[in-house]
Amino acid sequence: MPCGKERDGDGYPSTTTTTRRAGLITTMSGHGSSKEPSTLTFERPSIRVWILSSYLVFVVLALPLWWSTTSIERLSLPTSRVDSLGSKELHLPISVAVDVARPRLPSDNLAQKIRTLFELRKETIPALYSRLELAMDSSRGTSLPDTYSISLTEDVEFPTIRGRHLSVPIHQANRAPDLLLDLLTPYGTPSPPGTFHHLVAKYSPRYRLAFTLLNEDAAAGRAVIGWDVAEMLSRWIAPVLRQMSELHNFTIESQIRFYAPLAFEPLFLNNGNDLIHGLTQENLKVFVNSAEWTLASSVSNDPVLHFVVFVPSMSRTPLRILDDTSQPISSNSFVLPQWGGIVLLNLPPDTPSKLRLTEAELDHVFIGFRAQLLRLVGASELPQDVRSSEPNRPLTDFQLDTLYRQRTFENAGSSKETLQSIVKLVDQISNMPVGQDVRNDVLEALSALEVLYAGVWSVPALALQHSSRALTLASRAFFNPGMLALLYFPAEHKYAVYTPLFAPVAVPLLVTLLREVLAWKKTRKARNST
Amino acid sequence: MRLATAFIVFVLPFFLVVEALDAETVEEFAVRDLFNRNVNAESSHTNNWAVLVCASRYWFNYRHMANALGMYRTVKRLGIPDSNIVLMLADDAACNSRNHFPGCVFANRGHALDLYGENIEVDYRGYEVTVENFLRLLTGRVEPSVPRSKRLLTDDRSNIFVYMTGHGGDEFLKFQDSEEISAFDIADAFEQMWQKKRYNEIFFMIDTCQANTMYSKFYSPNILATGSSRIRENSYSYENDDDVGVSVIDSYTHFVLEYLEGVNKTSTTSMKDLFDKYDPEIIRSHPGVRSDLFHRPLERTLITDFFGGVAHAEVMHTGPPHLPSSTLVPPLAQVDSITEDEHMQVEVLHNPMDGTGDHWVGLYRAWGAVGIMGLLVAWATLNTKW
Repeated sequence: MPCGKERDGDGYPSTTTTTRRAGLITTMSGHGSSKEPSTLTFERPSIRVWILSSYLVFVVLALPLWWSTTSIERLSLPTSRVDSLGSKELHLPISVAVDVARPRLPSDNLAQKIRTLFELRKETIPALYSRLELAMDSSRGTSLPDTYSISLTEDVEFPTIRGRHLSVPIHQANRAPDLLLDLLTPYGTPSPPGTFHHLVAKYSPRYRLAFTLLNEDAAAGRAVIGWDVAEMLSRWIAPVLRQMSELHNFTIESQIRFYAPLAFEPLFLNNGNDLIHGLTQENLKVFVNSAEWTLASSVSNDPVLHFVVFVPSMSRTPLRILDDTSQPISSNSFVLPQWGGIVLLNLPPDTPSKLRLTEAELDHVFIGFRAQLLRLVGASELPQDVRSSEPNRPLTDFQLDTLYRQRTFENAGSSKETLQSIVKLVDQISNMPVGQDVRNDVLEALSALEVLYAGVWSVPALALQHSSRALTLASRAFFNPGMLALLYFPAEHKYAVYTPLFAPVAVPLLVTLLREVLAWKKTRKARNST
Repeated sequence: MRLATAFIVFVLPFFLVVEALDAETVEEFAVRDLFNRNVNAESSHTNNWAVLVCASRYWFNYRHMANALGMYRTVKRLGIPDSNIVLMLADDAACNSRNHFPGCVFANRGHALDLYGENIEVDYRGYEVTVENFLRLLTGRVEPSVPRSKRLLTDDRSNIFVYMTGHGGDEFLKFQDSEEISAFDIADAFEQMWQKKRYNEIFFMIDTCQANTMYSKFYSPNILATGSSRIRENSYSYENDDDVGVSVIDSYTHFVLEYLEGVNKTSTTSMKDLFDKYDPEIIRSHPGVRSDLFHRPLERTLITDFFGGVAHAEVMHTGPPHLPSSTLVPPLAQVDSITEDEHMQVEVLHNPMDGTGDHWVGLYRAWGAVGIMGLLVAWATLNTKW
């Protein structure tokens, strides 16, 4: 402690500053009156002003740095373009040719009827079908590939579809306009309450299909140890997937599990001569025992559609679905909305204890799966007793085009809403950052949407591609990890952060500034008075 | 009366627009439309999700872990699959070296029920439980590498149950003793979810001190919220266990869990039944309910709407099996609906929070701080001799 002896016994612990100041005072008092403080070089007012102003200059120069480091990057979004989307409408024209193969048939009348009925439906079901336009062409046959045609003929017994052509038997001529419109606008028909529409999974460009064979309890006497799943998939599922390849990209996985207990006890009841186990409708809702069944791998984030064959254990066979009056119904399959489908497979009592399922048992199951899959991806049904004459095409062109149109409409609406909500949220939440990638995604989604709205899409598959792209980009923009808003930071917290940092510096600076101003005023006054 | 008004509102446009239709058809359409709308108002969700957050760590906060695990057990029991439950547990009491019962977490004095059990999936654990991760989870703004189990993959048909517990205060909840989330942040996150249609309805439940302040800032529709205690009121633990050595569960959560024990997957107990059962004497704080954003009557809102699994199942009638060689494909399937189509009236309940004047308090504080600064400067100036 070399400075210790200079401390003059003030009793304070020594710190360098106090000691140095004490030394300074000693020096000054030592030279005393011989030298005025103002004559010292470092005490000149101009130097004090320089020092003070350098601080101020530093603060002023640092302000932009402070501003840029504490503010959030918020690039401007094309608000007006997004707003103008609101008034745009999709153009999805449907052109229908009425084939007058036999001139004596009242085809003009038919065209007129179709048009009237169509306009009527547009009025009542505004959502999608106000966007549809019907172009009638009653000239004989047309070669355009995307034109639907309808003809009355004596060659068929039932209304029959081939490609985009609907043949209606003459004796059902009155039904023809209804049938055609049911095919083209199936969602628009006023269907009974509890329509299947809520079953449909959200659109996604990719789906995973998980096929699972569940033995309720393989240890209890009978076990299914294998199934010809590949064969069944290629027979029943693959044709559907091929047809829908424009819509979705499917990945398939399959598994067999040997223990899958139910979480509840099915009803045991006597139905005539048979003893059956029954699933009430409440049971169906809780059928999937998610706590103990592992139904899908979690390798990707694509949405999964589950397809489950449930083989009840021997003591629970037969397991049947009951209706409201506790009577077993003929169906053995059910769908859980957006989740997937389940088929119950009751094996006859004389089956061996270990078996491999073959097409004899599985055909029925996979027909059920196919129907469930079509329902889950949103394909419409054919109207009653309409037949398709192309057995290897599970979906007719009518259904496929309808699905394209429906999904296009949904995607366009959903991406429009997403873009609007991005703009709204950025406006509403002031500390939400908007980076370059978000802006790019928004711009690209916007241009895809603008192309979609500007075009006239007689080929619905093309429109779907644009809408799917717009949806993907808009969602990606919305879910961009960089868009996470900063935490809410109340004003008091800001003071609490800045005050301890800046108050100790600011007080002497401000005090000195005031002193300088007062001193300057004093000297000016003195100068004026003399 | 309301029904009649709604009827007129729906029917009139049809009369004006569709003059060509005869009156009967029009009315049929309108009635069906009205009917459909009301069916939707009853319960239009198809899947359930749960986000369960225990925000505090350390052994002495054992009870918060137990709260969250208790809720986890209950939602799982009532049918939400593990893939739809996101459990955030800031600490692992089961594996704490101070735990006299390694691998177990108990929520009652007698160790009757091990909540940790054998089948438990903690999605975010330890230091992963942060405010940022919680908000990313809700808003869906996660990095592409985040696995499926750590994501909330909901859509506009999802009902979400959000449960939070930890140490909190007026409009904030502490995470891990190092950061906090404010009521504004949660409200904004819910609004972003609403904008992106990430939920159909949310049921928000929070057990912390001054919990009811946490839902006071919500402004998005279809949120039902409940909390354990009023502003300036503490939430207390329920009981101590002498062997574990700390409190094992909080009073409010214990009360709710006890109540939910009486509910099963098919029960028709409503939210109103639960809220009516709230007893400040037993809970030792005043639980609150906020339902002004929620557009269904509480007596028609089932507990299983939020805690349950699947809302509908549709039986499919497939055609008879046929061979691919046949020339004609039968209609693929018809669907029978077995959902309940109940007719109901929409009624809005109000329970507004008294949150006015907060803005002015903040303003006064800010100007007060500036004034004190000014006084300090003036005082220093005047006291300096020159």
